[in-house]
Amino acid sequence: MSSRKKVLLKVIILGDSGVGKTSLMNQFVNKKFSNQYKATIGADFLTKEVIVDDRIVTMQIWDTAGQERFQSLGVAFYRGADCCVLVFDVTAPNTFKSLESWRDEFLIQASPRDPDNFPFVILGNKVDLDNRAVSAKRAQQWCQSKNDIPYFETSAKEAVNVELAFQTIARNALAQETEAELYNEFPDQIKLNANDNGRNRDGDNCAC
Amino acid sequence: MAAQNKVDNESSEEMPADTANDPSAEQKERLIAAVKKEVKQLMEEAVTRKFVHEESGGVTALCGAVEACLGQGLRRRALGLFKTSSTTALLHKIAKHCPEAALVSARVLAAEGAPATRSASGVERRPSMPRPPLCKRGSGSLLSQAPPQSRYLWIRIALFERQLAKIIEHLVTNATRYYERDALVADPDYGSILSSLLVGPCALEYSKAKAPACFWSDPPADELVQRHRMSAGTTTPPSVRRPILNFKRSLNASSDDSSSASTVTGKTGTSSAKDYVESLHQNSTATLLYGKNNVKVQPKDVEEPMPGYLSLHQTAAGLVIKWTPNQLMNGYAESESIDKSLLRCHLVHASACPNKCVLCSVAPCTVYRQRCSGPLCIDCVYWAMSLQVCVWEVVYVHVHRSQASDALILVGQDGVQRPPIHFPKGGHLLSFLSNLETGLLPHGQLDPPLWSQRGTGKVFGRSKGRRRPMPSLCETSETEEVEWDEAAGDYVFRIVNNAIADREAMRHSLLERAVQSPPRTPRRPLASTSTTSSDSSTMSVDCPPSAGINGMPPPTPVQHQPVEQSASIELVCSTMRRQIISRAFYGWLAYCRHLSTVRTHLSGLVHPNIVSGEGAECGLTEAVWRALTDARGAVADRAEVYRRVYYGGVHHHIRREVWPYLLNYYQFGSTAEERAEQDAACRRQYETTMSEWLCVEAIVRQRDREATAASIARLTEQAGKLQPTDSTDAGEVFEDDCSVISDNPPIVSPEPSDTEQKKVDTKPVLSRAPSIDEIDNIEMDADEKDNMKVNGETDSGDTRVDSDTEVHIKSIVDNPDMRRESIAEIKRLAEGIVQKGDGRGLLCSVDSANVNLNGNDARSSLDESQPQQQHTSVIITNPSVDLAAGSPASGGTTATVSPSRSPLGVVREESQSAGASFDTLEPTNDQRPETRSNCVSPASSNGGVYSNELVESFALNLHRIEKDVQRCDRNYPFFTDENLDKLRNIMCTYVWEHLEAGYMQGMCDLAAPLLVTMRDEAAAHALFARLMRRAMDNFPSGQAMDAHFADMRSLIQILDCELYELMHAHGDYTHFYFCYRWFLLDFKRELLYQDVFAAWELIWAARHVASEHMVLFIALALLETYRDVILANTMDFTDIIKFFNEMAERHDASAVLSLARDLVLQVQTLIENK
Repeated sequence: MSSRKKVLLKVIILGDSGVGKTSLMNQFVNKKFSNQYKATIGADFLTKEVIVDDRIVTMQIWDTAGQERFQSLGVAFYRGADCCVLVFDVTAPNTFKSLESWRDEFLIQASPRDPDNFPFVILGNKVDLDNRAVSAKRAQQWCQSKNDIPYFETSAKEAVNVELAFQTIARNALAQETEAELYNEFPDQIKLNANDNGRNRDGDNCAC
Repeated sequence: MAAQNKVDNESSEEMPADTANDPSAEQKERLIAAVKKEVKQLMEEAVTRKFVHEESGGVTALCGAVEACLGQGLRRRALGLFKTSSTTALLHKIAKHCPEAALVSARVLAAEGAPATRSASGVERRPSMPRPPLCKRGSGSLLSQAPPQSRYLWIRIALFERQLAKIIEHLVTNATRYYERDALVADPDYGSILSSLLVGPCALEYSKAKAPACFWSDPPADELVQRHRMSAGTTTPPSVRRPILNFKRSLNASSDDSSSASTVTGKTGTSSAKDYVESLHQNSTATLLYGKNNVKVQPKDVEEPMPGYLSLHQTAAGLVIKWTPNQLMNGYAESESIDKSLLRCHLVHASACPNKCVLCSVAPCTVYRQRCSGPLCIDCVYWAMSLQVCVWEVVYVHVHRSQASDALILVGQDGVQRPPIHFPKGGHLLSFLSNLETGLLPHGQLDPPLWSQRGTGKVFGRSKGRRRPMPSLCETSETEEVEWDEAAGDYVFRIVNNAIADREAMRHSLLERAVQSPPRTPRRPLASTSTTSSDSSTMSVDCPPSAGINGMPPPTPVQHQPVEQSASIELVCSTMRRQIISRAFYGWLAYCRHLSTVRTHLSGLVHPNIVSGEGAECGLTEAVWRALTDARGAVADRAEVYRRVYYGGVHHHIRREVWPYLLNYYQFGSTAEERAEQDAACRRQYETTMSEWLCVEAIVRQRDREATAASIARLTEQAGKLQPTDSTDAGEVFEDDCSVISDNPPIVSPEPSDTEQKKVDTKPVLSRAPSIDEIDNIEMDADEKDNMKVNGETDSGDTRVDSDTEVHIKSIVDNPDMRRESIAEIKRLAEGIVQKGDGRGLLCSVDSANVNLNGNDARSSLDESQPQQQHTSVIITNPSVDLAAGSPASGGTTATVSPSRSPLGVVREESQSAGASFDTLEPTNDQRPETRSNCVSPASSNGGVYSNELVESFALNLHRIEKDVQRCDRNYPFFTDENLDKLRNIMCTYVWEHLEAGYMQGMCDLAAPLLVTMRDEAAAHALFARLMRRAMDNFPSGQAMDAHFADMRSLIQILDCELYELMHAHGDYTHFYFCYRWFLLDFKRELLYQDVFAAWELIWAARHVASEHMVLFIALALLETYRDVILANTMDFTDIIKFFNEMAERHDASAVLSLARDLVLQVQTLIENK
């Protein structure tokens, strides 16, 4: 039963402001690109169901504010994350440089159970632009040096590699999740109570 | 999609091959395939989520597919009597023969009849749209978009009741009666396939509840709101715990009067039926004195006595005898799955029926009969049969005893007899009477008394044959019991009220008791011993005959005389009263303490004095504003302005005039001239500041270009050849990049670097104005700073030199670009200087520049001669030219802001002419001592000396600002490039003034509405600076946000504890992080622009009228507006974030704002009522 229970994967997207976090999320979930997005304030999320190895998995993708100063709020949103997506802009070297600190910050704030093996994915976004300044090789090298983080070059605008990247994200997160089940011995017990509550309320409210 | 296709394939494979010839077979095949697909999806959903939500799209799709199958080949004539040919009619038709269908049919009728709101919106539409089955097939995905409740009602209900498979089986078995011969259902194969397919879905568990597991695929926010509005009639009103703080219902009810009216009736109807069932139990308003099942009553029009549950209740109004037929009782309790729903039908039906007298008491069941027709009538009749008699209305109690049973007849004051109540043998009648008698005490009694002279051995039965016996009874012993059983005869008791006054007094006291602390009546503990069984599920309350059912604490045996009895009961009553009062007092005391804590907590949030909104609803109109303005253009009556703005907002045309007052920029009472002066001064200030950061911006731009050039060069290099440098570690890669940008300072060494030396070092740029060098030298000597840097032009050379030492290969490639850049820059500078040179008499600098330029040209031409590098330089040059064209820094360099960019150029001219010397600008610099060096040459503005940190810090901010400005409200036509430029300037100026705080995301959003309103850059900046005085604290560096969250917590806790508890219980989001954006941006992203203006005015005016923290109340109003939606869906943290993010810019702002004002008033009143 536990292996067939619903799977919700919480994915956090991090990266400097303006690297295209919101666009990537919307491209993946809604299959559309807009140049109307505003700077994200606070946090938002979208959900999408994907099928990974014949399992239906719900991805809950959290889009956060890019300015590092707002990360103090992060704890509330990072909690229980299954995967973290770090995004940089291939035309802006600085956004690539700050990946390291994003990664560290996330590990501190989310404090996952097994920080060494926590699944990250790096996305180099905006590859559709001409004025590229961070080479794929360089990014690749960095990813290799960090425990072989998967790296994708994406374009949210032209939907390049977005699907593939999020499939990988889901798969890696799911792998992590399955491992986590070994640690978590009583996941259903808590759920049972939640269900009971729900049902009681149902009984109270329902008058038809 | 893949899964669906798979199913389709499977199903087609299964089909017999010969069907392909038959066109109808093909159609059938498709229909059944659709069902299969939906079943599979639903089962999948159920497996992954444990249970399926009733309103999930999968359910609707399945229902649609089933409907299509059932509708295909349906004989029209079979349903001739019905108006429509829908499958619903079919259902009602087969209800006669199929019990499952009858049940569902009843439920459908009930659901259709129940809430007025729903029938208006959904169900009525159904008969009017008969569905040709052909249109339906294969359109599962389309169907799922229909309003979930209204479509396929009966199939839906049958599915949830798990009867669908059986009904369809019945249909298949009897297909010939209803279907054409070639119908799918009539087909021996397909029919059985269809019914067996549905067995699975019928076994699933469907939930209405918002189960945590199915959150993520749930409908979007607006659908939730809509759904809530539609179904508002069926939810029971949430209980409100604290009457004083009683919170008015949400806006959706009040906004729609008609629906709320029907809502109310629906609620009372439903709840009265529910109350009835509850009233049979021990509860807070009534004490159960006696309960016995299988007591038979022969109601009117019924041939045989029916068994039922008899109970005696002590309520505030007196004793009540109730009898409920077993059909109703069992329906409620025994077999839950089916009969509970049946009872629900009853309840719904009862509530829908306009005549509620059944539940009132005297029960003319005929009324129900007449009004209701249809299958449900039977159930109505049961309700009508139930008895409810108030004992005070009964005068005589007749007892007829026979061998078979004991009957009891109640005769009312009007002489009407109730149906006889037949007790089974075994002393039940006696125990009922004894309970009745004790229940009547202390103010009433049975005449003659049932109990007298206990234990004397006299028996009720002895006085047989007498018309009015004087029955007395001893404790039930075996022998006497037998005697009693054997006895037969008739007895009459009169129910006596001791005195009218007494009775009134008693009622009063009982009322008091019931109202004040019902659960604490001393009766209860004892009584509950006898009623525990009634709480159990079987409902068969079989009371021990003489156990203390009456529950009077001092049991009657102690008393010997009636007088004594009533006296001691008086005593008991007074003790009880004392206890009650003391408990009530302590409760009240605790509540008062709580309130006082609340008051201290909240008193800081609102102003103590309530300002009336009388006549201010229309807000500050232009006429009012003009009237308030005196001849000199001064507005003195600030209180009135604030009051009107608070209650009605500002008329749009005068916003530009009023906002400066609201933001405390203009002083009330200032004359028009004073304000004009203030504006001019402000503008000057703004322009000065702007010119400063524009200089720095030029530097930053230059550096950026260099950095970009470096990066691109590196890329090109990498692309061209795989150098060993490529294999450098990632960390080093970063370092390399940094070096390009930031390693400049050491190179711009404090050495007396005169022009000649630099030229030798191939630093062509700097020397345009020798004076700068001198200044630099002086400066650096004095301060001995080695982190001082000259200017942008210098950097390019420096960088190159620097990179020479580090990356040898690269430098060759890099240099030409940079040099080219700087050359272009210098050319422009030189031109500028030449143009202005005449006026300023700075000819010397021009000369030197020319000299340098020559040198540069030579060098650059050399560079360009190298063909390999040409490619790179082309890329770079283009953007640089663009930038230069748009950049004021490069054009006007020093102080002059190019006129195309802003209207400030004119003023600038003035300051330039005032003194092209250091003196003029030095005072300005002194104002901001730490952020920059105190030496800027106006003549060669680029020669300003800024610390490297300063430049870098500003560069960082500048990039952020530009990123955000570009993205700010670009869906609004107002934000053209020109206006975005203004916004950028405002941001940069503000950040330049507050560099230590820096730019933070959200500032753009705060400035944008100000710019939209004021249009003028300088004015908008001034207002923005005022606004930020308060708002700054909301940003991460400040403390206000946490305070807001804490205040929200206590406000919600006090004003809507129910919501608070929900928030607390579901993942505890009482940290209120979901309000973050609301507070940070003053609801700018939550509302449309027009509404943002109104909200901001409310916030600003409220500071002077009602509350310094109006944002809290607006936030609260937003929450309260949707509280019922939140509660009904038991939202957790993620739900609420999603909900409000989706609801952004969709709120009914005027309603929210007025609710916010109401909330302020509510808190004010609360605090006032000490």
